[in-house]
Amino acid sequence: MTVAFAFLAGMTLVSALGVVLSRSVVHSALFMSGSFLGISGYFVMLNAPALAAFQVLIYVGAVTVVILFGIMFTQKPQVRRYRTIINRQFWPGFLVAAGVGCFLAYVLAAEDWGATEAGNGPREVAAFGRDLLGVSSGAGIFTLLFEVASVLLLVAVVAAIVVSRRKIGQGVDRGVRE
Amino acid sequence: MPEMPAQVQQFIDALVSAPPLEGYLVVGAFLFAIGAWGALIRRNAVVIFMCVELMINGVNLTLVAFADYLPGAGGLGVSYAVLVIAIAAAEIAVGLAIVLAVFRSRRTVNVDEVTSMRG
Repeated sequence: MTVAFAFLAGMTLVSALGVVLSRSVVHSALFMSGSFLGISGYFVMLNAPALAAFQVLIYVGAVTVVILFGIMFTQKPQVRRYRTIINRQFWPGFLVAAGVGCFLAYVLAAEDWGATEAGNGPREVAAFGRDLLGVSSGAGIFTLLFEVASVLLLVAVVAAIVVSRRKIGQGVDRGVRE
Repeated sequence: MPEMPAQVQQFIDALVSAPPLEGYLVVGAFLFAIGAWGALIRRNAVVIFMCVELMINGVNLTLVAFADYLPGAGGLGVSYAVLVIAIAAAEIAVGLAIVLAVFRSRRTVNVDEVTSMRG
């Protein structure tokens, strides 16, 4: 377990640094999917295999593809110099981020969490599904949250279409000039 | 099977035992910090979206670690993580639509060149 933990930690954090520091946007997107894969490995270790499957399907699959489409539409995939991809806050930003990271890590590691023991997670998919639908005891709020999330996704899809479509009179749509 | 020295046995036990809760929390915190660094320093709006996704994943890892390790959590952090994933998917859809709209009108996605709302 410790070996798997160390391997996944290295994969996740090195890929995350690759997202920030790689000079090609496409490489950033691929590094990002590597980082998401490491996180899904952690979900398997933490007794949440169904969530790991969601992570692979949604993040490694869908989000990465959507972002690659965004890259395709907006820029030429080419390697650029650091001066053109990074603004002037490189070292101040590093100081702020390192301060935030070290502070969070210190607080989370120094806090006394009481009796902690691995294995409390909903390992069975059936128990996980009952939690998510708000049927199991103590999870009643999820009935509301599940419905709100479905409405949110519908609104987001409509909003994405409305925001990104070409307005009437702006250029050619499906080969027909309006 | 030959008898192993006590130190070797101890080392092997440490290797196969579950890592402590703090390990997951520290990895999540550093993933959040790396994402924040990228969101602060990069100029490309698409890369900023990727860094925000990294931050969301760090928080998700923390939630799921708590759900697995704290007996009082009842495993509900996993359900919250699913909701977070759904909201992040909605965010990425709307965000990339906005990036496309900005690119269509200004031919750039660098966030420090889109300054028409600067006071």
